[in-house]
Amino acid sequence: MTEWIEKIDSCDSTAAIEEIRIAVFGKKGVLAKAFAEMKSAPNEEKAKIAKELNEMKAKLNSALNEKKVILETQALKEAMKAEGIDVSLFSPLCERGATHPVMDTMDRVIEYFTNLNFSVETGPMVEDDFHNFEALNLPKYHPARDMQDTFYFKDETLLRTHTSPVQIRTMMNTQPPIRMIAPGSVFRRDFDITHTPMFHQIEGLLVDDKGKVSFANLKCILEGFLHYMFGDVEVRFRPSFFPFTEPSAEVDISCIFCKGDGCRVCSKTGWLEVLGCRIVDPNVFKAVGYKEVSGYAFGLGIERFAMLIHQIPDLRSLFEGDVRLLEQFR
Amino acid sequence: MIITKSWLNEWIDIKGKSGAELCKTFNSIGLEVDRHEVYSVPKKIVIGKVLECEEHPDADKLNVCKVDIGTSVRQIVCGASNVRADIYVAVATIGAVMPGGLKIKPVELRGIESVGMICSSTELGLPKLEDGIMVLDESIGSLKLGSELSQNPYFNDDLIELELTANRGDCLSINGVARDLSAAFDIEIKERPKAQIEEKQVGIGRILHLNHSKNADVDLMYKALKKSDFTLPLLLRLRLSMVEEVCQSAIDALLFYATYSSGVILRAYGYSAFPIEQEKAQITLAQDEDDYAVVQGLEKASTVGIVQYDSSRVTDEDEIMIIEASYIQPDVISRKMAEKKIENGPLFYRTSRGSEPDLDFGLEYCQELFNTYAQTEIYGGTLELRSSYEEKVLHMSIKDINNIIGMDVDKTYITQLLKNLGFGVLKSQTGQIVISVPQFRHDVSHDQDIVEEIVRLIGIDNIPSQAYSFTEKVHKNDASVFFAKRKHYRQRAADCGFFESVQFVFNERAVLQEFDFPLVEEKLDLLNPIAGTLDTLRSTLLLGLVEASSANTKVGRKQVKLFEVGSVFDAQRNESIKMAFSFSGADSVEGVRNNGKPNAIGFEKFVQIISNVIGDFELREVELSHGLAHPYQSAEMLVKGEVIGSLFKLHPSVAKKYDLESTYLCELDFDTLKFTLDVFSSFSKFQASYRDLSVVIPKSLKYADLKDVITQVQSAEVIRFYPVDTYESEELGDNMSLTLRFMLQSEEKTLEEEDITSSMDTILSALNKELGIALR
Ligand SMILES: [Zn+2]
Repeated sequence: MTEWIEKIDSCDSTAAIEEIRIAVFGKKGVLAKAFAEMKSAPNEEKAKIAKELNEMKAKLNSALNEKKVILETQALKEAMKAEGIDVSLFSPLCERGATHPVMDTMDRVIEYFTNLNFSVETGPMVEDDFHNFEALNLPKYHPARDMQDTFYFKDETLLRTHTSPVQIRTMMNTQPPIRMIAPGSVFRRDFDITHTPMFHQIEGLLVDDKGKVSFANLKCILEGFLHYMFGDVEVRFRPSFFPFTEPSAEVDISCIFCKGDGCRVCSKTGWLEVLGCRIVDPNVFKAVGYKEVSGYAFGLGIERFAMLIHQIPDLRSLFEGDVRLLEQFR
Repeated sequence: MIITKSWLNEWIDIKGKSGAELCKTFNSIGLEVDRHEVYSVPKKIVIGKVLECEEHPDADKLNVCKVDIGTSVRQIVCGASNVRADIYVAVATIGAVMPGGLKIKPVELRGIESVGMICSSTELGLPKLEDGIMVLDESIGSLKLGSELSQNPYFNDDLIELELTANRGDCLSINGVARDLSAAFDIEIKERPKAQIEEKQVGIGRILHLNHSKNADVDLMYKALKKSDFTLPLLLRLRLSMVEEVCQSAIDALLFYATYSSGVILRAYGYSAFPIEQEKAQITLAQDEDDYAVVQGLEKASTVGIVQYDSSRVTDEDEIMIIEASYIQPDVISRKMAEKKIENGPLFYRTSRGSEPDLDFGLEYCQELFNTYAQTEIYGGTLELRSSYEEKVLHMSIKDINNIIGMDVDKTYITQLLKNLGFGVLKSQTGQIVISVPQFRHDVSHDQDIVEEIVRLIGIDNIPSQAYSFTEKVHKNDASVFFAKRKHYRQRAADCGFFESVQFVFNERAVLQEFDFPLVEEKLDLLNPIAGTLDTLRSTLLLGLVEASSANTKVGRKQVKLFEVGSVFDAQRNESIKMAFSFSGADSVEGVRNNGKPNAIGFEKFVQIISNVIGDFELREVELSHGLAHPYQSAEMLVKGEVIGSLFKLHPSVAKKYDLESTYLCELDFDTLKFTLDVFSSFSKFQASYRDLSVVIPKSLKYADLKDVITQVQSAEVIRFYPVDTYESEELGDNMSLTLRFMLQSEEKTLEEEDITSSMDTILSALNKELGIALR
């Protein structure tokens, strides 16, 4: 019988195990045969043979089962090994697209101001002279009103050069207090490295009863906003007084690239100009029929913000739908 | 506006301030610094005098000079053509290092020793002032032999360029900039010493007469001078070159210098340019055909505030020249120019922004210059003409001023500050201030302008921020919903693999026309487009996407998925918002999974991905009105029976033109896209059953027609149905087999076989009746 133990040991497949099991335990197997032979043995030996046979049976049985588990485990291992893949072939292949950094920046600005409960207002891109210039204290002969810069239509309307006409329209339709922003596309007839004929602006306006809102309030709002957009930066206000379309003050942040030490982006000044703000001219209130109010306005270029935040070097590349640029923002 | 520190120092004492300090102050008071350069002459350059000057025996162009440099006399060989005896020059002595790096040491030139170098202005790192060496004169101070040029303030100066806003014409002169600095530093403007000028016995009235009709809107003032020849002194030449001004004659240069310093517009006429009557030259102020004020002589001599005509300039023959100071209100001249444009020059830049109206001051300064540098004889007195000027007076309360700023500033401080800026502050009650605005500040007309003056001189950074307390208001409106919706769909598009493109709202009219897109009516179109390819407003987003896809493909991109949300314009130029998609090239990213050979994007996959972005819609065959679409792969998109847009395959010939592989496009009316919150509807708790129905239909039958029939008769238990298989064979001929799968479910019970059969029979009999089709 011990030769069977050896056979079990040298088995190399579950099929071979099954063959042995049949050969040993089957109806015509060696054990059945041995038990049958035992019957013809002398009676005094029967008990001894039976005991030996039963011990052998148990031994063979456990040897078989052990070997079976070993072989099954091995078979599973091999089956799994056969299923093995080179995972590195499947490094993530992101198929998500991406939203545009300019639009994202616009959304971020809108979110900040709507959280401060500013309203969002819009207006037409095709504007008339009154809303785009005249009501903003820019009469026809004003030197700041460079005709070369404006897109005109043949019927004397124009493409708005800023989103300020939205402020005029809003003021004419509602009464103070006003807290609003006007995001949108604006147009200037200029196309070079630093100018595109269309770009995006957000302008804000605060109007309240005289004495209720001050320059100090505007300063507070803009400081909060710039910290939200650019993180921990210093904010500096530089006066630059001029009628409506030009700011009363230019607002700088400490350069986010060199932390104020001076670099190429900030032209070695350590400061980046990011927005403009102003006290609203009384002539503007006159044009919309407001009396006894104070107002403050601010404006910023979305592209400039997006380029600073994402460190995009070329303005024009933002308008080319180039996936090599866009896929960096997904 | 370019200034130099030494020039400014003639008008206000700023000796103690560094260039950096000046720049910081300029920036903080709103005169933005564009450029700051320091000019400095190297050490060991000294003042010398050429005692003798002889030709070099062995070289044509060289001279051998004996130069006195105070401590000794040096022999220097010099090649400049303008070197001569008795002139003062800048001498680089042994050991001097020139700005170019050249180190001065004794040399031998054609056998003659040369100890040092006589310098030209460019060799000293200064602008070019003349051909050859720089000849010194007393305009730069006393010429003490041997003294270091680097110690002379004019050769060791700060140049600062200011960027001025268009309202600050008052700062277009050294005098004006000094006035602003005076307020910033609280230093008074220097009193100009009254020049002791001896005027001729003969008064100007004896030789000149000014004719004018009624009330003029210009100020004019005249002075007559005997003409004399002179060369412009070094200091003036140096300064003019620093401000980058090139003048034709010494007279022009002196006048420009006077205007640049004082801000008053000055010009010189030749006496012979005017007709003589009763022994007097007749100057006439008139209006020309364009309603501009002109000074008339024999011919038109000048247009006030704009240009002087060449025929009235001082000629060699003139013995007398007439100096004119003029002022015209900037809004008057700007309005005229806007109404009737005439050719203008640099003068208009000044006058339209506001030149200095104090003509006495300008003329006096000018005659002082002529007297000093040209020893000119001057006729007594002046002739003048004044327009009426209404003084602006503002009454303000200190409280209002403080309310606008948001901090307390006291009256004494405000008063002093305004006085330094040249404003008049009149006596007033406590808490009030009465301000008279000087004529040169034409840009100040409201309380708020005064506040801005105060704010800029205090420095905005010195105003503490204060939180704004406001009344709450509901601020949700259509615009805020629009931006939220736009963000929602943009993100969904990106999630589905599209990249957002932002294009200009311009297209090329000819291209829109080529593809039969709507065009803005000719009479409403752009008057001054920036480029031929951007000459009209776009009526579709699709062309931009096709062009961008093409550009991406050309740089080797195998799959290009783009979208845009933006404005388009119809023929009447009405604006609306569209959302458009393009999908070009491979339908998935190349990789092991597709053996590097992904399929080209097809109709089905495109529809699938668009519905992932915008939700369910139905398709209906349509013939699109533009030429971008493949005629047999175009569809209208419908939601609840309403058309929301279209999608199609790009026409093969257009694709070829743009070098594109298989490309699909879709354009939607953004307004029709859903942006409301979904509402719950109940669903059955019972098991759903499925039944397939295979029918034989003519190949020409559209599924949409078949669907319509079923929709009309389907029972409430038919939850949905959809095609799952099509089959064609020879045996079927012009027909085909279509298998539909129906999902049936009841709200009340699990459906029995007979319920299902009854539902299906109704459908089948309707199909048979309406379309004559039967089970396979
Ligand atoms: Zn920097």
